[in-house]
Amino acid sequence: MPDLARKILCSVLTAGTALATLSMAPARADEPSAELLARGEYVATAGDCIACHTRPGGKPFAGGLSMTTPMGNVISTNITPDPDHGIGKYTEQEFEQSVRHGIRRDGSRLYPAMPYVSYSGMTDEDVKALYAWLMHDVKPVAEIPPATELNFPANLRITMAVWNLVAGSTTPETGDSATFDKLRRGRYLAHALEHCGTCHTPRNMMLTEKEGSYLAGASLLGWYAPDITPSKTGGIGNWTEDNLVAYLRTGHVNGLSQAAGPMGEVVEHSTSHLTDADLHALAAYILQVPAMDDDVDHTPREQFGQVLNTPDIRTGELTRIDRLDEMDGQHVYDANCAACHGDNGAGTDDHYAPSLFHNGVVGSARPDNLIMTVLHGVDRTAGNEHAFMPGFDQKSDVQRLSNAEIASVVNYVMTTFGSGNHNVTAEQVGTMRSGEATKVP
Amino acid sequence: MAADRSCFPTNIHLASPNAMRMRRALRMSRRDMLLGAMGAAVVALGASRPGFAATEEADPVVPLFLAVSRRLTDRDVLDPQISHALYAGIIHANPERREQIHKLHDLMASGSFASARALASAAEHSDPVFKDVIHEIMTGWYRGVADQKVVVYRSALMFDITKDAVYPKTYAAGGPFYWTQTPPEVAVPTGEPALSPSRFVVEPT
Amino acid sequence: MPSEQDLSADVVIVGSGVAGSSIANELARAGISVIVLEAGPRVDRQHFVENFRNLENKPSYQGPFPSVPWAIHPPNQMTPNDYLHTTGPDAEAYQQVYLRMMGGTTWHWAGCAWRYLPSDFELKTRYGQGRDWAVKYEDLEPFYYQAEVMMGVCGPDPAVEDLGSPRRQPYPMEALPISYAAQQFRKLVSEKTPYRVVHEPQARNTRPYDNRPTCEGHNNCMPICPIGAMYNGSYSVYHAEAAGAHFVPNAVVYKIERDSANKRVTAVHYYDPDKGSHRVTGKYFVIAAHCIETAKLLLVSADEQSPDGIANSSGHVGRNMMDHTGVQVTFISGDKALWPGRGPLETNVIDNFRDGTWRNERGAYLVHMVDDNQVDLATSLAISKGYVGRELEEQIRYLASHTVRLFSHNEGLADPDNRLTLSQTHKDVLGIPHPEVYYKLPEYTVKSCEHTRGLFRELIGLMHGTDEQWTPGYFPQDHPAGSTIMGTDPRDSVVDGFCRTHDHENLFIASSAVFSSVGTGNITLTVAALALRVADTLKKELAHA
Repeated sequence: MPDLARKILCSVLTAGTALATLSMAPARADEPSAELLARGEYVATAGDCIACHTRPGGKPFAGGLSMTTPMGNVISTNITPDPDHGIGKYTEQEFEQSVRHGIRRDGSRLYPAMPYVSYSGMTDEDVKALYAWLMHDVKPVAEIPPATELNFPANLRITMAVWNLVAGSTTPETGDSATFDKLRRGRYLAHALEHCGTCHTPRNMMLTEKEGSYLAGASLLGWYAPDITPSKTGGIGNWTEDNLVAYLRTGHVNGLSQAAGPMGEVVEHSTSHLTDADLHALAAYILQVPAMDDDVDHTPREQFGQVLNTPDIRTGELTRIDRLDEMDGQHVYDANCAACHGDNGAGTDDHYAPSLFHNGVVGSARPDNLIMTVLHGVDRTAGNEHAFMPGFDQKSDVQRLSNAEIASVVNYVMTTFGSGNHNVTAEQVGTMRSGEATKVP
Repeated sequence: MAADRSCFPTNIHLASPNAMRMRRALRMSRRDMLLGAMGAAVVALGASRPGFAATEEADPVVPLFLAVSRRLTDRDVLDPQISHALYAGIIHANPERREQIHKLHDLMASGSFASARALASAAEHSDPVFKDVIHEIMTGWYRGVADQKVVVYRSALMFDITKDAVYPKTYAAGGPFYWTQTPPEVAVPTGEPALSPSRFVVEPT
Repeated sequence: MPSEQDLSADVVIVGSGVAGSSIANELARAGISVIVLEAGPRVDRQHFVENFRNLENKPSYQGPFPSVPWAIHPPNQMTPNDYLHTTGPDAEAYQQVYLRMMGGTTWHWAGCAWRYLPSDFELKTRYGQGRDWAVKYEDLEPFYYQAEVMMGVCGPDPAVEDLGSPRRQPYPMEALPISYAAQQFRKLVSEKTPYRVVHEPQARNTRPYDNRPTCEGHNNCMPICPIGAMYNGSYSVYHAEAAGAHFVPNAVVYKIERDSANKRVTAVHYYDPDKGSHRVTGKYFVIAAHCIETAKLLLVSADEQSPDGIANSSGHVGRNMMDHTGVQVTFISGDKALWPGRGPLETNVIDNFRDGTWRNERGAYLVHMVDDNQVDLATSLAISKGYVGRELEEQIRYLASHTVRLFSHNEGLADPDNRLTLSQTHKDVLGIPHPEVYYKLPEYTVKSCEHTRGLFRELIGLMHGTDEQWTPGYFPQDHPAGSTIMGTDPRDSVVDGFCRTHDHENLFIASSAVFSSVGTGNITLTVAALALRVADTLKKELAHA
């Protein structure tokens, strides 16, 4: 997910090593213009720096988020302008070296947890604006990020794996990115800022993005970032530009899909804040990359299923309060899902709870995202809309479902409303519940 | 654990004041006392629900029940699965109902009744026991209840009639705050009842 | 022979409802060791939701909760009843229901989260009636807020709608938008009467809160919210467990042991479902077992040291039983369709009679226009009227859209003669006597109910109502209070202003049992506030220990 990229981007600045204490403070630039600051803020949003550089409940940009990498955990750093604990002593040039080239102020290399490779595509002007905004508008926080590692799944952002580990090369954009034409702007956003490929492009053995498979879909952290190329069968080739814009702005499109997990965070922290023009540019660019068919999704994910119309014939029997026997999939659905998604699967009339048929998550041949959603729920704010579904894992206050119950209900839902029965087992759910599925291979 | 320790009948909780007193009140107006509400309320939990197995697939009254039900609901289409389950419940509670339903069908077949009301009215006149039979059929289709047990909940016809305005409790699908919208207006009904009235008392919950 | 197994903690709590679990949560978060003994089992929501749908008698709030034999709760509100035996002239009016299981009775409350009025705490001083509390509104105010944050309470902006209980903080969530039916009712009352309809404060999410979803109006707060949008005690249980509190389900406490001086409680004893006995020791003990079970436990624990029961030197344990015994009417409005049953059950209240100078002679009350789906009732009614077929369907639509249900909470009064005792004739499977309550409605409450009936008749007239169905007599509102009454004088009260028993310095009671008067608002928020204050006291005392 693009979030990663941003997280990475920012964590570059200090990840993994302590800042050397240099005595000379950088000269504060002349008072930057409001225009420059606004641009910087926008670049930071598009890059979603805050996602990585803020720990849950922590102060903005003060770091402390732990990210899993094959090399171990990286704790994101304080990028507030505090001179001793943050980046307050960085000059603009030093900042640029960090963001685009991964070279720290003291000359050592940054861990590639921050995707400086991608960010090297940023224009000079945008780097300058980002620097100005971080130094000028972000409140200095005099704290060193705690090195404690939080447990999965306390917050997915925490355990977001970081894959941008092997350097590639990106041709830097030049000129004023605000003046790019639509496709060039879209490409700039997709590559240099949003980093769609970080999650959606499969990796080769070296963990770098596979050549020629851009946005063809990949697993991460138990979730599956699907094929979002314009393939008519495995991708999003049936989506219009407006559909994709709506999805990125709000996190859901009726009859297509909705964002949860990492993509929910991307929408919340980044894409919902982009301008209309940028969303269109990004969407237009993505919808013209080379179509890549999917290995297992051979029918458009959103085309499966229909409204269910069967009578609810019941036993009329009640169970004693201490009889907590596991229920079968149909009954787990009836007891836990039907209240909002409807006995017929149609969701609420206002689409607050989405329909389960014509839903890309349920129509996928991969049950991963449905399992993860049942476990962890949905918590996504975009604009004024706060989409929320409770999770049903072992910490749920609403209902704690067993692995077998989750497997049953996922199989029931996918059979009834989606792509068919994928025979999810309790063991599979157990693996995803424990977070084992999130380990980077 | 003492899971099997015996105590008072486990399904006594099924009887609220409302239900118990209503049954009592309704019963007072009937001569058919076979199904004592009090007795039914203390049936041991072990008594299993009558399934399809309880009624032979070959039971010739099964289709008659559906045919009578169509007339009494003024509906051409009723779900045969629900019909079967309701029938099973009704005759489980009172085996004499099988014969009575058969006779009600005979009555229906003997004349031409253009409406539910016409049939129900004629039936009560011919034999007051049909009033109870018809009450049970109405209770079955509209409330989804037979043998004092839920046969269907959300699929009960009372929710079909009102679906443009309210949802069955626990199944609301309007999304947050849908309830602030204006629901449909309902005209004052003009139709007449078909059967003689029974007492009805609203009780606290 | 029973097995004895010793458990020990700084604080031992009996009962895991909103009071017990919220104390456990506060203490565990402060690093204090806590054991909570719950008579009933662990439970979960999904089975209750399915039970509700399988329940024939949908209005039965106890229906979806068939109890376990070792901790039976009242099966229903019938008299006679197989557990809570009531006697006296108004026996039927004290047929309370409650739940004995993890999380307690808030599994089936309607989420109404009222603060009491300052005057409710000073009934004797201000109106010469009943008793004063040994705590004032101002003392409780911070804990009210803490309870509101804990539960997630939504309510109106005091600047727009002042509910009479001064607030230092706004409600944690914005008020719940009321239904079309309630809007119409509110409009009618404001245009045609001198009264007003206010937004009821509710422990219900009007936005995602505490990892629980926004209310979607499933109209089933009682008996079971299907999605967890409404607070119940199980959340505090979960949070307390996450913080390290130890909950023991199926632990039926039957004895409270004291030291030789009879000043300090040293242990409580519980039966497991097989009647194996267990002893639990601690530094402090909190009985938080619901008004009725709390008094029962204190009485059951009588021994040579305390022949009248624990904490009962005053003789007031089990006395002063109160409730919001109310009046109810259902009728068919002659005006436009209202379609009640869209949204949560109870959202709006006429609050003009919560306080007034007339409280020197008659009790206060509040009125709910219950926003209850009436389709099932309409169907039963229409069938009983003899309708079939097309005419039946017409009737159902009309009745379901025009039925109005009003009920009231009328203020009870502490009367020592209204008394809970141990049944001499009924025991449960563990050999513990059932509770028995004598109840005669105080004249003060009778007068209040008469006034309410007058108001209801006025409202029925304004709505051109027909088919009035008055619930015969009075009916219980399931808000029992007073069984271990609070007061400053140990001779006529059981606990002091901090809910500490006068007799035993390390024994607290967290329950509506301590209420000195019962006011009009639902009792739960006040129970929670008092409980959080007990937790505060315990934290301070344990810190000094």
